[in-house]
Amino acid sequence: MASSLNKPELLRQDGKRLDGRDFDELRPLKITANVIKNANGSAYTEWGNNKVLAAVYGPKEVVPKHLSDPSKAVIKCRYAMAPFSSLSDHGRSGPNRRATEISKVTREVFENVVLTKEFPDTAIEISIEILQSDGGTRAAGITTAAVALANAGIPMKDLVYAVSAGKIKDNIVLDLNMIEDNYSDADMPVAIAPRNNNILLLQMDGGLTKAQINSSLDKVINAGKIISKIQRQALLDVYKID
Amino acid sequence: MTEILIPGDLIEDKELLKNNRFYISENNKHYCTLVSLYNNRLIPLEGYWYPNIDETVVGIIKEVRNNVFEVDLSHFLRAIIINDFRNKLHFNVGDVIEAKVKAIENKKTIILIYPRLLRDGMLIQTKPVKIPRIIGKNNTMINQISSFTKTSIIVGFNGLIYIKGANSSMAISTILRVEKEAHTKGLTENIKQILQKELELTEK
Repeated sequence: MASSLNKPELLRQDGKRLDGRDFDELRPLKITANVIKNANGSAYTEWGNNKVLAAVYGPKEVVPKHLSDPSKAVIKCRYAMAPFSSLSDHGRSGPNRRATEISKVTREVFENVVLTKEFPDTAIEISIEILQSDGGTRAAGITTAAVALANAGIPMKDLVYAVSAGKIKDNIVLDLNMIEDNYSDADMPVAIAPRNNNILLLQMDGGLTKAQINSSLDKVINAGKIISKIQRQALLDVYKID
Repeated sequence: MTEILIPGDLIEDKELLKNNRFYISENNKHYCTLVSLYNNRLIPLEGYWYPNIDETVVGIIKEVRNNVFEVDLSHFLRAIIINDFRNKLHFNVGDVIEAKVKAIENKKTIILIYPRLLRDGMLIQTKPVKIPRIIGKNNTMINQISSFTKTSIIVGFNGLIYIKGANSSMAISTILRVEKEAHTKGLTENIKQILQKELELTEK
């Protein structure tokens, strides 16, 4: 990571971002559902240069048994970056601090939307594998896992999406890529349940004022309409008959 | 109008909610919780089997104990057959059986009765939510497949289907086709035509 004194420019002379996007423009997003035959539900996402695979297994027996809850299902989440997913080292010696943290926050997102009381004494396993990373992988992971859960037939209150907002030179930007993530003034991944815009995840690196946070959330919710539409289309495409 | 709903979609027609558990209610509004087909009725396209009393299931014996047989129904609930001293049952691990649901104990254990051993034949697995379509209204679909292919078919509501007969490969491919196209219109008629064509080809 660079020190704050050694920041590269993140905006071009024409006022656009390095990859030519506007401040509130998302990277190209493509989601395909039902890609893994053996899983109960699965989805594959290409979001800019991010490539994410999510699979859902269960409800199934809880192992170890003492973790089971007689009143509801336990959600287990595993976020992992493939060793070849980025330039830095990942996944060579099991889960690291970062993967453990992201697994935890992702699990908490889905504990709020999945109707776990339908499946007492069972476990629902969500595996998120980052095949290629370019910033915003936790958001991409949550967006993909939501489609995989719906594809698995796990009852949910809502189809969650996630996207990150940030700040570059006092401008609020959406969907930060790796360079922006590393050198921007702030980075704030947000997960939202779109039906009533409940915030299920909000983390932040750097600093934002109250007004900037409100503005970021407005932009996230606007962009979320596009993401939700793509998630819906991915699920509808499963039932297309040639 | 046929439409596919996804989790979180508003269900406007309250008539659809009768005999349906695939929704949640908030502030007097109802929302879908599964990917479902909206077509005068709300039919889930993905999901799990929720056992009801008297439903037929097909399973595999996975454990034999003194007075209990544990049955694998490809389901997250445990299923057992109690071996009463009056009806001495003899099953081995790996036997395929047909049985009926007698009760669901504490939402955790399915008690099965009237087990019957299914010999030879083939076992396929389908999505439990597609079973009502595979059976069809008044058993039309399954009777049609069974009579055209001259096979005996036992459909378990848990998603396992047992097929026995000379033409079982045709029956399997037809059932898998019904599973895949369960949400399309005029499926019974389509399947009838496909079966007729295939039979003509095999007779030639």
